[in-house]
Parts: sequence; C-alpha cells; structure tokens
Amino acid sequence: MKKFVALVGTNTAKSTNRKLLQYMKKRYADDADIEVVELKGLPIFKKTKEVFIPQQARDIAEKIEASDGVIIGTPEYDHSIPALLSSALAWLSYGIHPLMDKPVMIVGTSYGTLGASRAQAQLRQILDSPELKATVLPSSEFLLGHSLQAFDDNGDLKSATESQKLDSLFDDFLEFVDLTDQLDNSKKLHEHAAATFSWDNGTTGDDK
Amino acid sequence: MVKLVGIAGSIGEQSYNRMLLEFIRNHFKKSVDIELLDINNVPVFNEDEDHNDNPVVHELARKISGANGVILATPEHNHTVPAAMKNVIEWLSNNVHPLNGKAVWIVGASYHTQGSSRAQLHLKQILESPGVNAFVMPGNEFLLSNAKEAFDEDGNLKDARTVGFLDSVMKKFLTFMKVIEMMDAPDPKNSHEEDMDSKHPVNTTVEDVDMTDPEWVEKAAEKTHAATGGDYVKLDRGLLTVDQLNYFLNSMAGELTFADDNNQFIYYNKNADAAHMLAPRTPDQVGNPLSAVHPDRVIEHVKQVLYALRTGESDVVSMPAQTGPNQHVMHYYRAMRDENRRYRGVNELVIDIMPILKYYLAATGQKLVKDPDAVPMSPITGLDAVTGASKHSDPTDATSGASASKSVEKPATKPATDATSGASASTADAAPAAPEEPVDTDALTGASEEPEAGYTAAGDATPAKQPAPEPESSDTDATTGASQS
Repeated sequence: MKKFVALVGTNTAKSTNRKLLQYMKKRYADDADIEVVELKGLPIFKKTKEVFIPQQARDIAEKIEASDGVIIGTPEYDHSIPALLSSALAWLSYGIHPLMDKPVMIVGTSYGTLGASRAQAQLRQILDSPELKATVLPSSEFLLGHSLQAFDDNGDLKSATESQKLDSLFDDFLEFVDLTDQLDNSKKLHEHAAATFSWDNGTTGDDK
Repeated sequence: MVKLVGIAGSIGEQSYNRMLLEFIRNHFKKSVDIELLDINNVPVFNEDEDHNDNPVVHELARKISGANGVILATPEHNHTVPAAMKNVIEWLSNNVHPLNGKAVWIVGASYHTQGSSRAQLHLKQILESPGVNAFVMPGNEFLLSNAKEAFDEDGNLKDARTVGFLDSVMKKFLTFMKVIEMMDAPDPKNSHEEDMDSKHPVNTTVEDVDMTDPEWVEKAAEKTHAATGGDYVKLDRGLLTVDQLNYFLNSMAGELTFADDNNQFIYYNKNADAAHMLAPRTPDQVGNPLSAVHPDRVIEHVKQVLYALRTGESDVVSMPAQTGPNQHVMHYYRAMRDENRRYRGVNELVIDIMPILKYYLAATGQKLVKDPDAVPMSPITGLDAVTGASKHSDPTDATSGASASKSVEKPATKPATDATSGASASTADAAPAAPEEPVDTDALTGASEEPEAGYTAAGDATPAKQPAPEPESSDTDATTGASQS
C-alpha cells in the first residue's frame, strides 16, 4: 500500500483544508496510508551561515523521503499560498531536497467561491522551481469553494459531485505515482543540480 | 519632505535587497525621507490570533500608515517572494490594512540574470488582492541582477546607468504617489453635492468605527494605535509631545474645530464646558459627520462654505455669530491644504473680537463713530461667488451649528450694518480715555495718521471707503506691531 504525506498548508485551528485532508485519509484508507502532517510551529524561513534547519522541518523531510508522494492542502491568503506553507517549502529545499521528483497532488479549499485557484497556480510554479523540482500531478485542480458548508458532521463531503471528482483525481494520483517512477531521465540531472546547489552561489537563480 | 518606508523581503543575515534599499535611502536622502523597517521579529501569521497582541506588527502598521508610499525590495525564493515578506503582508491584510490605497514601488535584486522577476510578479498579484489593496506602480520594473558584483565596498551601485535609471523611476514614483493621494479626494460638482454624511472615506478616515459613537475618539485611537501623552510628534516646524500639543491648542485665544475633507468633525480644542463656549461643542460629538451636528435649516449654507473652501474659490470664509454691544463673535473658516494643494479640511476659529477692538481703541486713544458714507455690506466674507450669500439671514456656525441645536440656541445675527454700527456706537461710549504717552507709531501707522477716522480705518492703511475691514487683519497688525515695540 502506498504511503502519502498530507501537508496542512495553514496553522489555523478552523482550517477546512485540514478537514479535507482528514476526509481523504479516511475515504482512501483502503488504497493508501495517508499521514496528515501539520506545518504549525515552523518558524519563518531564514538563511544562516550555519545553514540551520529546524528539527520540525527535518522531521517532515524524513517523512516525505519515506513516502510515495505528497498531498498539499492550501488555502489562499492574499491571492497566494500562506507564508507558513511558503516557509515550509523553503526549509524543505534548504540544503535538503525531500521533494525532488516526488509526486505531488494539490488540493485547496476556500470559504468563498474560488477555492484557492490563484494560490494553487502559484504553488505549481513554486514546486517547479530548481530547488524543489517536485513532480506535480498535471491537469488536476481540486478547488473546493464554500468550504465551511462543504462537510457534514462526520467530516464527509456533502456533495456527491465533489467527492466523485476527488475520487477520480485520487485514482489518477495513484497511477501518476507509478508513472513518475519511470520518468528517470531528468532525475539524475536534478540530483546532480541538487548536490551542487549552493544558496550562497545561487547557481539555480535563487537569491538572498 | 515626502516620507517613504522601505522593507527588504528577506531576513537572512546578508541581503542584497537590504543593501539596495540602503543605497536608495542614502542616494535620495536630500529629497526623500526613507525609513527602513525591520521585519526580523514578526511572528508567524495565524488568523486565529489577534494582531493587537503583537507590538512588532503594531509598529509596522503604524509606520506604513504614516508614510506617503512604500518601497518593497524582494529577492526570489523558489520562484516566489520570501516567506518572511509574505508573512508580513498577511498580518497587514487581516485586522489592520495599512497598505490599503498606498502607493507601492517594487524593486528586487538577485544573484543571476532573473533579477527576481517571478517574485516581483507574485508580489504584484499579492498586493492587488482585496485584503491588501495597494496601488503598485505599473511598469518601471527595477531588476538588479548579478547583485554580488553590483555594489562597491561603500555599498554604492557601481553602474552609473543603473543609478540613472533608479533616479528616473524615483521621479516617476513621486508623481505616482501624488496621483494616488488625489484618488480618494472627494470631488463634489457643486455645493449641493457636498457629502455632509461623510460617506466618502479619505486616506485619513478611520474605518470601521461608528462616527456617531460617543466614544468615537477612544475607539478610533485604539484602532490606529494613536500616539498619546508623552509620545513625541514631529511637526513642521517643531517637536512636541502629545501633551504639549494639548497644552498649546487648549490655551489658544479662540475655539478651534477641525472637520476633515470627508466633512467629518474630528477635533476641537476642549478647554471649557459647552455652556462656557462661544460655539458650544460636547466631547461625544467628535467623530460625527457634519450632518449630525447641524440643524437641517443651515445645511445648505454650510455646504456653500465647504464647497468654496474645497474648490479654492476662497481660502477664508468669515461670518459673525453673536453680536451686541459687548460681544462680536466671528467664525473664520480656513481651508487646509496639503503640499499638493489638495483640500484636507476646514479649520474653524471662533473668537470674540470685541476685547481686541476695545483694547485697540483704548491703547490708541480713539473712539468709534458712525461712518456716514458706509455702504451696507454682507457680514459674510469669502462667499462672493455664491449668489445670495449676503441674503443669508442665519449665518450660523458652519462646522458646529449642531451644537446650537443640541444646546443653546444662538441669538439671531443682525444684518451687517446693524452689527457694525451697533458695535461702534457702544464701543465708542465705552472707550476709555487716550493714554498719556503716544503709542508706538510704527506699530500703529494707520492710527497715528488718521486719529479720527474711527476703527474702520484705524487698523491699517485700509481706505475709509471700506466700511468693514477684515477684522483679522487689523488684529494681526495691531498685535504683531505691539509685540515688536
């Protein structure tokens, strides 16, 4: 059975993205072992001479390394992903590269209609950056709008249309994980780039 | 001087974006005051927490609110803005919104060729979201690539062309800020369109506090984290604490009222109870829209005054209120304008000029007599362009008529001629004997030249054919001269 890490993109107690990820964990329990992982508690990313990485980020990195794929649930703050999630991704590409070539599925919820569409678009761009180079499931937006009303008392999605859509996306993701295993041509290149990457030289266009 | 704040987006130990901002600050220091804000200690944003618990966020919000514009310098991390910068913006788009309507200029430095281009695009998208709602200067992208080689050992940009480009963009940004500041200026097409209900917030309006709340001052102060007590305020020209400002304003020889360009009554120099004021105001009225502090019957007149000041038709409108043998209360409405000549509100001074007049006559040994050649005039000045201004039978207190409706009804104003002659007659009667010694002739030129001309000509060189001189000018001359002697 496949093992996935599901990152909750926000630290708020009332997150509907957490609800969605917990719903997925329960619903797909027969197909995959999904661990919902909190980012709350991670400090804002900061470069230091010692290239210090907080233990919490190291723990998350380890879990991701040991997994077959990552699911990210993101809300939208100011038309983009929360600073906390952005910060987590920076820690997870600071001398360590757990997300490199890792299959990633993006889901997002919002209180309004749009379902974090702009945040998801930015997140794809970010995950494609040289220090991250994750392999994101293409053509697969799951935008859950009006998320406060979307779940019933058991934490299940009320709308059958939405749950069916999520089911088929998740099935795709399971197959995608197998497929990406075969995409190993550029993998060596990425690994090489990651090995020689230096935040000080900014060899990949990154910057202070 | 134009005041900007700059924020470097990364909190790393060394940052070329901070160096870039430091260079910009030093390079423009003669023309622009740029303060760099530190975002190192901003906690991780959490929508469950209240920003009020955090002094660092307070301070950032306060400084940004007080600035004319903001420069953001962003590096690029993972194809986007650094989490540290995004984190600050999240705090500033939740409970407080200091970037709302603020002009923002984005710059960026990076190691290699991209010069933070993708981060700048993300940042624009973020700043334009409804919670932030800043005005990002379009075009004029400033991307400093190869940042490691760009600065000399003194932190100056080496390339003269880059500096020249920076100069040209700063010039555009200064203009952009002016345009943005004008955007929220209320623009009524005629006096009837003056919005007495204050429903057109300007960039100084405190949002989300009920204007009619008796505790408006306290609530708005809390919302804005207003300076109080011993906090210093830098003024043009001087430096005072808030306490000192209060001592100063409360001891003014007159009652002062401030209504802003959204026609909101936001201040008076409270030095007496309403019962002892010439134009009574009460503490709970502060914050009210002008419509709430005026009886309906005077609203149209007030609108005419405001419109004349707002449009620049007049800089001062004056009118008498209570007049009689021992009192001649004048209301002076002065337009307040900013450095772009934008109207920023009305400064109302209410003062009884009779003691000044009596002093003047006594000090110069004169008395008032009727001017047989006097031409009847409107007691109201500064509203010439408004037809029928002179017909106003009730030139009540434009900013505070309300007080009239709430507390004491003011005595009806007499027609111009009555008011003037009444005053002169009574003052003449009451005028004390001339002093033994001649007064300083330099200071009181008019007086010594025309000792018998009466007060209408005595104050300055105003010809006698003008029956009612601007009392303020005589006052000014007399007092200034006196203090010189």
